[in-house]
Amino acid sequence: MNSQPLERIRPKIEALNAIPSIPAIILPLTSLLQAPPDQVDIDKVVELVSYDSSIAAQCLRLANSPLFGRKNTETVRSAVMALGLKRVEAILLGCCLNRVVPADKWSFDAVTFWRHCLGCALVSRKLAKLIGYDDPEKSYLAGLIHDLGILITNIACADEFRACIQDARERHVSLYQNEQQHLGFTHCDSGKILAQRWKFPADLVQVIEFHHNEAELASRPLLSLVHLSDLLCRVRNLGYGYYEAMGVHFAGSPAWESLAKTYPALAKADLARLTMDLDGAMDEIATVVDTVFATPAASH
Amino acid sequence: MATARAIARPDAADLTDPAYLKIRDLIYRTSGIYEPEEKLYLLASRCARRMKEVEAKSAADYLQRLIGHPDRDSELRSLLNEITIGETYMFRSPPQLEALRNVILPQLTKSKAAMGFKRLRLWSAGCSTGEEPYTLAMFLLEESATRLAGWTFDILATDLNDNSLATARAGIYGDYSLRNTPEALKRKYFTAHDDKHLQVSDQLKSVVRFDRVNLNDDQRMALLKGIDLIFCCNVLIYFDLNSKRKVMQHLYTNILPGGYLFLGHAESLYHVDDRFQLVHFPGAIAYWKAPAGAAGVKQP
Repeated sequence: MNSQPLERIRPKIEALNAIPSIPAIILPLTSLLQAPPDQVDIDKVVELVSYDSSIAAQCLRLANSPLFGRKNTETVRSAVMALGLKRVEAILLGCCLNRVVPADKWSFDAVTFWRHCLGCALVSRKLAKLIGYDDPEKSYLAGLIHDLGILITNIACADEFRACIQDARERHVSLYQNEQQHLGFTHCDSGKILAQRWKFPADLVQVIEFHHNEAELASRPLLSLVHLSDLLCRVRNLGYGYYEAMGVHFAGSPAWESLAKTYPALAKADLARLTMDLDGAMDEIATVVDTVFATPAASH
Repeated sequence: MATARAIARPDAADLTDPAYLKIRDLIYRTSGIYEPEEKLYLLASRCARRMKEVEAKSAADYLQRLIGHPDRDSELRSLLNEITIGETYMFRSPPQLEALRNVILPQLTKSKAAMGFKRLRLWSAGCSTGEEPYTLAMFLLEESATRLAGWTFDILATDLNDNSLATARAGIYGDYSLRNTPEALKRKYFTAHDDKHLQVSDQLKSVVRFDRVNLNDDQRMALLKGIDLIFCCNVLIYFDLNSKRKVMQHLYTNILPGGYLFLGHAESLYHVDDRFQLVHFPGAIAYWKAPAGAAGVKQP
């Protein structure tokens, strides 16, 4: 790959580190998620939520939405309890990452992007549990952040990226392929730079860097999980908002085969059923994402 | 969408009855049709109609009727009829047609043209009242202007039910069947029959051949060869496991290497057949008969 274009945007990406509060919230969040769900300190979560008034407001709004059937949830604590840790974390991270990109700087629909990330997180965790991977929560987080680079490229070279997406949309090809052709680097490259600057753990950096790279998947179950989940989302209407001409034979893919060697349960997985379960979870994904992105005037 | 679903949702307390999950699993085991947990209310509303009919007092009571009653087989069939009712209309599954247009036809025409063939054979197995084969006919005729220029094709449409076949041959359809058909195609491929019905044009009829075939008839099935694409939607659900396996054995033989089998959108072949390979397209899944030595379907 030609490294010139990437070197050209590196300073811009590194300058993003100066944006206040982004790493301040994401880093405690990633460490919070390392703990098993029953050992997570709820007070700490409530504190994180309360840290930011707009995030707190969004948690309250979602907790009071018809999806949860609750009315008059007035405190941050009761909202957190109603939503459950995973949804709160999704909202937190969504809000944080969303702020990296100012509203007028999106090259494509922010809601679509975030639905893809949250969908990938949910599928990664589900697949992880299905096969007996020992850290399903980490795979959730990895799914959530795997496309971090898209946000970064979006800011660092907005015009070129917009043209790249538009062309991919018209030709029904994958964004990753088109980035290589149009930009000379991909969201995996730009995401890696930011993830390293933000001092993400090495395995999460690998997910961001290699989730499209089949040659790197062997013996890296977390990476394989996210790779498969990303593909599954893209074929179930949770992709980048355009038609990608693709036919995916999951069970014959290198990621599947490599994962099945370590986790034999995968070979017995009912993929058709998993796919339909994902369709069933669409409403929840849409509600959580729309809560994060809805403007107060648009919400009810 | 959300509002419409909310209205269709029966009494929420009802859905907490674990009997619904057991009914869901029973249906999946016996028919291959699956409803994710989030969509159980759809199943519950189908059950509600049957429960009223057989005077079952609760979901648990109805479950007993499905597993312990002398009439259980016919009741299960009645429930399956409720579940699949209204499934038949033209352009029922746009994602299947998009997969054909964007992925499968380019793949098939390339490999067949390389062998000197420029002919495609499609089979609508269990065509009911003809909506599916006529949809495929319109789709292929439209593609003839571009991708399929110079190609010939024929569509075999079979069913066991003589009444359905008579309706299909007559080719007269009302609003329900045509609700998803683009106006331009209605004008091109139909003529007015009366105030409320349209008649299929002779051109459309000329590419579809209707016939009565029992998928369980070994001799008859053995004669059907050289099919590129089979559509068999909500048909296998009525067969028991052994018959399903036998039918699948036939379909696997009927279809050419490199060809695809499409089932209904909630159907799965899990535990029924493991020779076909499950392939995901955006919004649609299909079963692929891999050519000998094939490396798998390309994925981005």
